[in-house]
Amino acid sequence: MLWTEIVTAVLLGLGILFSLTGSLGLLRFPDFYSRLHAAGKTDSLAQALILGGLLFVSPDWGVSARLVLIAVLLLFTAPTATHAITKAARLDGLAPWTRLNPKEESKEDAKP
Amino acid sequence: MSEVLLVDSVLLFLVTVCAVAIIEVRSLYAVAMLSSVYSLLMALVWTNMHSMDVAFTEAAVGGGISTILLIGTLVHTRRDERPAKRRLHIPALVVTLLTGAALIYGTFDMPRFGDPNATIHHYRVPEMMSQTVAAASGREGKQQPPEGYDPPPRMTPTAAQWAGAVHAIDQAEDALEKAQQNAPGEAHHGGEGEHHEGAHKHPVDDFNGHVPNSVTSLLAAYRGFDTMFETTVIFTAGMALIMLLRRRREEGEDDFSQKGAALSGQVILRVMTKMFIPFILVFGFYVITHGEIGPGGGFQGGVILATAFILYALLYGRNALYRIIRPRTLEILAACGVLLYAGVGVACMLLGGNFLDYAALNTASPGDGEAMGMTLVEYGVGITVCTVMIIIFNQLAEEPSKAKAS
Repeated sequence: MLWTEIVTAVLLGLGILFSLTGSLGLLRFPDFYSRLHAAGKTDSLAQALILGGLLFVSPDWGVSARLVLIAVLLLFTAPTATHAITKAARLDGLAPWTRLNPKEESKEDAKP
Repeated sequence: MSEVLLVDSVLLFLVTVCAVAIIEVRSLYAVAMLSSVYSLLMALVWTNMHSMDVAFTEAAVGGGISTILLIGTLVHTRRDERPAKRRLHIPALVVTLLTGAALIYGTFDMPRFGDPNATIHHYRVPEMMSQTVAAASGREGKQQPPEGYDPPPRMTPTAAQWAGAVHAIDQAEDALEKAQQNAPGEAHHGGEGEHHEGAHKHPVDDFNGHVPNSVTSLLAAYRGFDTMFETTVIFTAGMALIMLLRRRREEGEDDFSQKGAALSGQVILRVMTKMFIPFILVFGFYVITHGEIGPGGGFQGGVILATAFILYALLYGRNALYRIIRPRTLEILAACGVLLYAGVGVACMLLGGNFLDYAALNTASPGDGEAMGMTLVEYGVGITVCTVMIIIFNQLAEEPSKAKAS
């Protein structure tokens, strides 16, 4: 096994791990904002790790360049999308969940 | 179970889940987003089948612009679906079941995926390989099929023959893999080169002069009339929407100098938009121009270009967009795209060929003529698609309350 393949396997594994934690957070966190936090943060990191892992097994420079471009594009757009969604929710008047005010969860879940 | 089948099964399962969710979910915003997810999943299925052009179109049109347009439509309707009475409608159920059964029965006649004996490998492609559009008018430049190509007769294999053929293909693939492992330097340079070196499994795609992407060559030359009228259909749809939704502009509304208040507080979004619009535009033009070489073409490129304009209109207000392109200019450009397509056809006729016989554009080198004609035609498609998408978005985004008042 080449060392590049080992690096790829490790990076892909890490990426999948972060995707998994992101999905778990999306399901388990109490309210809209923390769920989006889980999804947004891990998405940016997981895609960077996965694409970085693929970089080590790319057959030529053209493919590598494209992988880097995709990673950079996603690093810019994913946080922007998260920001836009969060800001829209905030402007819409959705209050964040706190321990003192845990009613938000039921309100959030009541919405289809 | 092969990997392709496994991935396909997972994807198709997700597609089914998506479809059921679209039926069940009440919130129409969720439905719009789910239909976008549905399209992206289908794009992955097409990618898995190596039909890149279809995947590209599905992602750009289904996943991208239709979601925007669906959400734009929601401005004019309610946010939630009206709760329907849940009652079993027996005749409707019977009709649906019969249609479904007929469709499934129809698929039994289709060849298996990847079947080397499929009709396409015996009936159309060999014929196309031995002809170009120029051949119809009997000029030079007819491209012969590759040396030693002998179209095999159509045959129906028995089960044993079929299994044998599959086994033979597997063995050949193993041998090819081994050969590539033995010569790693060569294998890494493979990809495109392989297809021309004789190691290809499919017939060479380059049957239409200098246009390597057989899909573009099919769409723009072989069935150029279809594509022309598809463009006309899109143009007509845009015009129909203008007639349906346009309201009379009020006094003073025609000067677009005043700033719209749209999303003026969104600093981050505005900065990102300004950063990315140039790249989106370059990518759109690349996709249109590159359509004859790789996946892409006028439809996908036009949609990508339209996205840049729509993004600008979303973040800076429609007046800002109208300061760049007047509504009138958009309408004229939409007509110009169709005109460019048909004009190329007429130019071919004036130069002595048939309608849309691109080889007539360059008699010295018919292949180059075809490449040029197809690029021009793709630009015609791209201009029409782009402008019509912007027009549809603008018409949908008009404030409905004002429309009622006037």
